Amino acid sequence: MAANTTHADDTRDTTRRSTDGLWTRIRTNPQPALRWGVVAAVLVVLELGALTGGILTLVDALVMGVTGLIDVIVGLVSPALAGRVVDVQLALSTFIEGVRSTAQSLPTLLSRDVIPNQGYNDPSTVRSFLGLSYNAWTGPFLGLSPAAAWAIRMALTLAYSLFTFYWLYRGWLTFRTHYRRAGWTPRDDMVNRLRNHSWGKFGIVVLVLFLTMSLFGTTLAPSTVQQNITASYGNEVQYVSDDTGAVETIPVGEANFNSKSKGNPAQNVGVMTYDDYGRFHPFGTLPNGRDLFTYMMGGAETTLMVTGIAIGMAGFIAALLALVSSYYGGTVDLSVLTLADGIVSIPQLLLLIMVSVVFQDHWLKSVFNGGLLLALVFGLTTWPVLWRSLRGPALQVAEEEWVDAAKSFGQQPTVTMRKHMLPYVLGYLLIYASMTVGGIVIAMASLSFLGNGLGITPPTPAWGRAISQGQPYVSSASWHIALIPGLIIVVLVTGANALGDGIRDAIDPESEGGSEEEAAATGGGA
Amino acid sequence: MSQQSIQSTADADQHSQPLVEVTDLKKHYGDGGRFSGPPVKAVDGVNFEIQEGETLGLVGESGSGKTTLGRTLIQLETATEGTVSFDGRDITKLTGSDLKQWRKNAQIVFQDPDSSLNDRMTIGEIVREPLDAHDWNSPAERRDRVKELLSSVGLQADHYYRYPHQFSGGQRQRIGIARALALEPEFMVLDEPVSALDASVQAKILNLLEDLQDEFGLTYLFIAHDLSVVRHICDRVAVMYLGKIMEIGETEELYADAKNPYTRSLLSAIPRPDPTIDRNRITLPGAPPSPRNPPAGCQFSTRCPAKIRPEAYADIDDDTWSRIEQFREVVRERTRDQMGVRDRVKRRLGTFSKYDDIEEAADDLFADVDLPAGITDTVDTAIEAVKDGRPTEAHDALTREFGGVCDTERPDMHQVSDAGRLSYCHRHDSEYDSVADTLADRSHE
Ligand code: SF4
Repeated sequence: MAANTTHADDTRDTTRRSTDGLWTRIRTNPQPALRWGVVAAVLVVLELGALTGGILTLVDALVMGVTGLIDVIVGLVSPALAGRVVDVQLALSTFIEGVRSTAQSLPTLLSRDVIPNQGYNDPSTVRSFLGLSYNAWTGPFLGLSPAAAWAIRMALTLAYSLFTFYWLYRGWLTFRTHYRRAGWTPRDDMVNRLRNHSWGKFGIVVLVLFLTMSLFGTTLAPSTVQQNITASYGNEVQYVSDDTGAVETIPVGEANFNSKSKGNPAQNVGVMTYDDYGRFHPFGTLPNGRDLFTYMMGGAETTLMVTGIAIGMAGFIAALLALVSSYYGGTVDLSVLTLADGIVSIPQLLLLIMVSVVFQDHWLKSVFNGGLLLALVFGLTTWPVLWRSLRGPALQVAEEEWVDAAKSFGQQPTVTMRKHMLPYVLGYLLIYASMTVGGIVIAMASLSFLGNGLGITPPTPAWGRAISQGQPYVSSASWHIALIPGLIIVVLVTGANALGDGIRDAIDPESEGGSEEEAAATGGGA
Repeated sequence: MSQQSIQSTADADQHSQPLVEVTDLKKHYGDGGRFSGPPVKAVDGVNFEIQEGETLGLVGESGSGKTTLGRTLIQLETATEGTVSFDGRDITKLTGSDLKQWRKNAQIVFQDPDSSLNDRMTIGEIVREPLDAHDWNSPAERRDRVKELLSSVGLQADHYYRYPHQFSGGQRQRIGIARALALEPEFMVLDEPVSALDASVQAKILNLLEDLQDEFGLTYLFIAHDLSVVRHICDRVAVMYLGKIMEIGETEELYADAKNPYTRSLLSAIPRPDPTIDRNRITLPGAPPSPRNPPAGCQFSTRCPAKIRPEAYADIDDDTWSRIEQFREVVRERTRDQMGVRDRVKRRLGTFSKYDDIEEAADDLFADVDLPAGITDTVDTAIEAVKDGRPTEAHDALTREFGGVCDTERPDMHQVSDAGRLSYCHRHDSEYDSVADTLADRSHE
């Protein structure tokens, strides 16, 4: 009897331990979670306004993407119903927009307001600091020069962003060492392998920088897209006039007009220089006098939106169809194959031109300045490429005996696909998606390069358009206009491929790379 | 276990029906498509039954259809023809929720412990999944049940949060067994459960399976690729060849006195502990034919050491005869080739040369034997026909001359012992010599 009691106690003990939720586990050992949480809270508070704004932008993009897709599908059946979807979409979007403008008023430490960089230099203004007196600017942070103020703000923002991403990773590590029930999971090995993969880490850094550019673009740039580009005649700057020596006011548009980079040294605002209005241009100006750095940040946001929606949609469709076609095989597989081949056989550029013409005056064309339409076309034409790359791995998993085992005890097909196949397909999806993203970035840039109603509607910044504008000046004093956007695209595409390589080596250490499937996936551009 | 289940077999004989009853079961693959060619006849009409609490061994080479048969019994494959009744109910017709409910009764343990467990799930999740799928009781009770199951297969409860990678092959097989047990099945298909394991681990797993059978009153179908493993664990054994059961009966009796030529050749291949007992090893020539194109008569006829010869050739020596048989199999294999349009045209023009290598094959086979004149003529005619691109004609001619009942007619299942053992062979007809005599004769010549 005594032995029995002990046994019962033991059982109860283990049961209790295993039924504990994550929260209980944190309560029993709060230290590591607290340590992480305090820092995380500080990070959030620092950028509360910007973070909420950023998240809302992503939510907005997601809502637009999903409803857009629904709308297009419903529109095929009943245009009236599609109108309803549009109403819902617009209502949602307006609502999110409202919340976002409220969010903008939340305190944000690393913002243009706290560390301003615009102003004028009146020689008569003198400040002293630690007993040293210096000729101070009116406007910029601490009276520093616009260049210095901008550099400080940008450096702080970058540091903040990199550190935040690192801290998220630290959070996972904390969970893994202190709170996770399993001492080891296969995923740990993958993360460790990726951590030792310098090429892959390069990819991660590029991706993080790109995300920073798109999400914190307004803080990073010396000016804003709205002030410098889209509403340049509705905003003014103050400057000290060379002629009169007095402080004067001029619309930004006019100032831009006099700051053009036209290739000859007399008419060029190059890299890291000031124009005549005391404005600092880290990347110089465009042929129309706009600030290239600001333009690039705006372009990053557009690029993120379009490629994000496109690859998200393509990846979702591809993974879903890969699971279904490999689980059921036979006729299902064959019909997906036929559909995919049909879509791939349409020349993407031709399709884009057609879509641009057909949707010329459609509301869809106005969402994200034509970005959503582009994203939909890219998404719907890219999934077959991804699907073909995923089909092989999916078929392989479908052959595994654990799938048969699930079938033998009557598991539902959808659950089997999600639990027993998806985790294996997901890794490959990440690989091929990162490699395909480069193709979409390039395709999008090519469209904007071509112009003529293709791509993003001007004046909204688009990387390809900057290259196209700078093309005549490549071998002149204004070389920066085409070169810098070009380099950024190259680095981003290379980074995305590096990330794909890294993930591949992480999930499948024996693979050698350079297979045909990858070549097919990378060649997804227009 | 053996004793107990013989007992239960006897009981079962007296009263109710068997737990599993298989009637004329067929499983063909690739049937139906116009361009798919002949179907693969993985299982080609088998009949047997399994009593409750019994272990039936199913032995065969790879390609014999044993795994397909096992998978069809638990509805992982859909039967092409025939019925499988479980507790008196035909389960081949079940669909939807009926099928899902029935699946609780029959589970499978797979051969390869690496492929049978999903590496991305913890042991707890793996063993729990069947319970989740059937919404068994409350989540807390499921967790307790999993821990219970883990301990009944010899693992610890705190293995719950580990991953399959952290276990050895034997332990992984135990996990697979725990998963199969989760829904308290009555019947389990064990698909070569120990053949991927080290010899030392094999015995432990076999013991575990026997203990579990006693504890839970399980009925097993134990699939194995040779007869040595099944002897200790099975009450009855079925020997399968090319989709057909060649012999089925009580284990000990079958081992002691196999009646079917194929069973005999399998038994002779088992290394004997006592080499002084003289039993000639029978080596089978060639490989089993493709299940796409099984022989027209007895499935084993292309390799059988006891095959019935036509009267006229009764006196030919065995070596020569075996070469003739091999030559016939080479020609028969050729009849499988689908000839393309280009080859047909060539054949008509008389320039067909793709099959000229038949001459070499014949040279290799007949180089060092003196064939009697009559035989040489037939062989030469056949060679010419094959070279002309007409292998079917050649095959028919050879069968006419050298073929016997084994080539042309499917044998019947004959009862060959008092205990009800069945064997699939023409030699059990009283008009032919018995298998034992024939084999003894032929090996002593
Ligand atoms: S029927 Fe003929 S070929 Fe088949 S096993 Fe018996 S003797 Fe051999």
